[in-house]
Amino acid sequence: VKERILHILRELRAYALDKGHEVALFYHEEDSYLMRFANSSISLNTNEHLIRLEITAFSGRKRASCELITDLGKLDEMKQGIDLAAQMVQHAQPLTYQPTVPVFAQSFADESCYDASLAHISNEDRLQYFNTASAGLETDQVKLSGIFSCGSNTIAQINTRSEHTQYFRTSDAQVTTVLAHSTLKWEVTAEQSARAKSDLDPAALREELAFLVEHYQTDTPQQIPLGSYDIVFGSAATADMVNFMNWIAFNGGSLKRGFSFLAEDTLGKKVFSDRINLVDDPYRLETFPYQRDYTGILRKAFPIFLNGVFQAFTWTQEDADEFSMQPTGHSVGHKSLVLSGGDRADVRSLSDLVKLPRKKDVLYIPFLHYMNIVNPSKGIITGSSRFGALLLKPDGSVGVPYNVRITHSLLDLFGEKVAWLSRATLPYNTSQSYGARNPTAIIVPKFIQVNDLEISHSNSSY
Amino acid sequence: MLEKIQQQIERLKGLGAAYVDTRWVPFEEANYLLMWNGNLKNATSARESGVGIRVLYKGAWGFSASSDLTDLAGLYDKAFDNARVAAERVTFPVRLAEKDAITATFESPCAINPFEVPLAEKVAFLKDIDQQLNQPGVFQRVCDMAFVRKQIIFVDSEGSHIEKTITEAFSTMQVSGLDDQGATYERTFRPPRRGDTRGWESIDKALFSENAARIVKEMNQVRVAQECPKEDRSVILLPNIMYLQTHETIGHALELDRILGYELAFAGGSFVTLEDFGKLQYGSPRLTARADATLPNSPGSFGYDDDGVPAQNTLLIDKGLLVGAITGRQMVEEANAIAKRQIFKGSGGANRATSFYRVPIERMTNINIDPGQDGTLDEIVSKTEKGIILDSERSWSIGSNREQFHFGTEIGWLVEDGQVTKVVRNPTYKGATVKFWNSLSAVGDPSTWQVKYVDNCGKGQPNQIMQLGHGVPVCRFDHVTIGE
Repeated sequence: VKERILHILRELRAYALDKGHEVALFYHEEDSYLMRFANSSISLNTNEHLIRLEITAFSGRKRASCELITDLGKLDEMKQGIDLAAQMVQHAQPLTYQPTVPVFAQSFADESCYDASLAHISNEDRLQYFNTASAGLETDQVKLSGIFSCGSNTIAQINTRSEHTQYFRTSDAQVTTVLAHSTLKWEVTAEQSARAKSDLDPAALREELAFLVEHYQTDTPQQIPLGSYDIVFGSAATADMVNFMNWIAFNGGSLKRGFSFLAEDTLGKKVFSDRINLVDDPYRLETFPYQRDYTGILRKAFPIFLNGVFQAFTWTQEDADEFSMQPTGHSVGHKSLVLSGGDRADVRSLSDLVKLPRKKDVLYIPFLHYMNIVNPSKGIITGSSRFGALLLKPDGSVGVPYNVRITHSLLDLFGEKVAWLSRATLPYNTSQSYGARNPTAIIVPKFIQVNDLEISHSNSSY
Repeated sequence: MLEKIQQQIERLKGLGAAYVDTRWVPFEEANYLLMWNGNLKNATSARESGVGIRVLYKGAWGFSASSDLTDLAGLYDKAFDNARVAAERVTFPVRLAEKDAITATFESPCAINPFEVPLAEKVAFLKDIDQQLNQPGVFQRVCDMAFVRKQIIFVDSEGSHIEKTITEAFSTMQVSGLDDQGATYERTFRPPRRGDTRGWESIDKALFSENAARIVKEMNQVRVAQECPKEDRSVILLPNIMYLQTHETIGHALELDRILGYELAFAGGSFVTLEDFGKLQYGSPRLTARADATLPNSPGSFGYDDDGVPAQNTLLIDKGLLVGAITGRQMVEEANAIAKRQIFKGSGGANRATSFYRVPIERMTNINIDPGQDGTLDEIVSKTEKGIILDSERSWSIGSNREQFHFGTEIGWLVEDGQVTKVVRNPTYKGATVKFWNSLSAVGDPSTWQVKYVDNCGKGQPNQIMQLGHGVPVCRFDHVTIGE
């Protein structure tokens, strides 16, 4: 398959050269499967096999693109796409900067994140996974929802500047299980990310679900008073916040467009707690990494925050071209962000967290729903708790709080209010199923405690 | 091709499928242009085609899609196999509400096909707008255009054959500027839908020119304005934020699949229960809301949904009382069965898929608020003691059951004793959905009513982006917390 794809790309390159067009070709193929559960049934079982070809034509400072959903048998259609992009670029307007057409110095192929047994996991296996994860936990009132999303993803590139190619192939699975009460409307979740079939562990998922379900079925729910709380965030909430940081903190293009709460003179300064170490590490296979970026730059571990001190902005080739900066190898589908674990070795599971001694109420928020940016310049975000929040009491008892809203700056959430991070980390799958498949995960501590955060809204029911 | 599709549908019926449908998209073309600070950052043309096949077998759905039609039988087999495995875990077998077998065509109104407009003309439009936005105080200026044209041929095992051609045109412009601390403020213009069509002609250059100067002026006012106070006030929502309030806390909350728990793994549920229909006072008596898929000029109108059901105008909230939902064939059957009463009389015709490779789900059509009798914006302001006028979303965050929300807007104008006093920056407001809608104290007359479009509504897994609309008036709500 690989050779067929690369052969076609070379043929298209030859066609473009023959016609005198300067083009870059970006091939994306996905074979996606999604088994979706709702109300304890499989509500949808789907698969899509899609091939996308993005053709970007250049003419001096002008640039235009043509995107096709096509298949490998439609060579003529692809050639017409090249002609269309070349035709469009004649009518485009010159940019005020010179866009770079990358020159691949050598061919590169990376299939280190591909596992055939995961890519071809059967319908029956996926169903069995869910049956195991939910065994004995469903009732007439407590229903199972969730997804088993898996598939393979292939990216291939070539352009008219070089005969060399780049080829990336990954397999991935994102599993979300939700148990929800059909009338009371509480809901708890457990999730897993996999890059190989051997990563799948439905028993571990079941254990997490069982722990939460027990509390939600037996503990009295309560509306907690507004005010200040010490909050332990779970991996989903933390990964989501890191994702927002990726957007409005250290992205060079966002900085230049006024959409960052950091400034150029923040470089080298302490921004966050000295417990915060964030690196873009393309050697962490759990993140489905790009070891070279789309322009061929060899990617290495790229420190962003070390002991809370800001190390560097990331620059895509496009932003570097526009703002006369040096690209940092970040023209990628996603970064490989790793927020290091801390020194709290005794909190490896939710059960460990619940057993910790404490002097005041601690709110556990595993998941923040519908987070959004209230003020990018101050890093203020807002979101609501969801999926199994717990109120951990000083006497060791556990309460079930109705959902709450927090509206805070990332400067607080990762700043001096950070009390501790668990040593244990995990890859949290942040893949979106918008558009083309792009398996993504962020490695984060399983738990982070941040003290003195304000709850700005507290629900009076689920 | 049609003959082959019908043969495959018959074949699967012979294998025991209770229902089969196919959406064949011979073409879907798109064109997107983005100009940022005078740079044509994006000039993209896109084209796709393919089929999506949905099979119902022993009460379970299977779906398969591909752009490669060389093995059509194989695609149908995959969809059937997916349904066969899904049928192993069924708690409530899928049943579809009755509908008529329909042979019909639909074409969205379009006077000028945007794909026949030369690229140079589109670029010239953006360049002209960009130059008008290039004024003192403006740090970033962004304008864009997006066009879509697609043909959808729907065929099902119940004898329907519907052919639709839909054309859409969208365009926006935005400026941002910095205050003396380097903080960013934006103003955006998203034009209302005027006229009865939705082709190239719906992008009104004069309207953009009129509003370019206004958004620059207002953005510069915001840059130097005081912070929004943190207190309780009446909020007066202009259509550019009223549409989103409606979208998030009426539209999504009343999607029947959400109410029945089908989105719990991702998008969330709804605070609304089946017992609430006919009983819940969702809002004040001033509130009447409807899902109207018959507005000619809005992307929430499509002739027939992807179940093959005709578009309808469905009452959702009648003088504050919850009476209806956004529905498709499957969900109304399930809801009526669970409720043990007939809440819904057939499908509301709101099941749509974003592309051939996604499965239809309940989507908003045009979720509209009827205009009221409380006069013009000026008249509403004049009767407001302590309020704030809000316009254009900056952030939005909603609870997972749509029970509460937090919105930020680009601009706010304080109102004291019936007079607009000053502009404030970073305005926000928050509330609990039912309490908020019950605090609705004024609904503007038809002069305040505008049709706004949404071109990026996300829902479902795999995720789908949908286009729709909202016809909304100016509305006032009392005792709302702002500034948090």
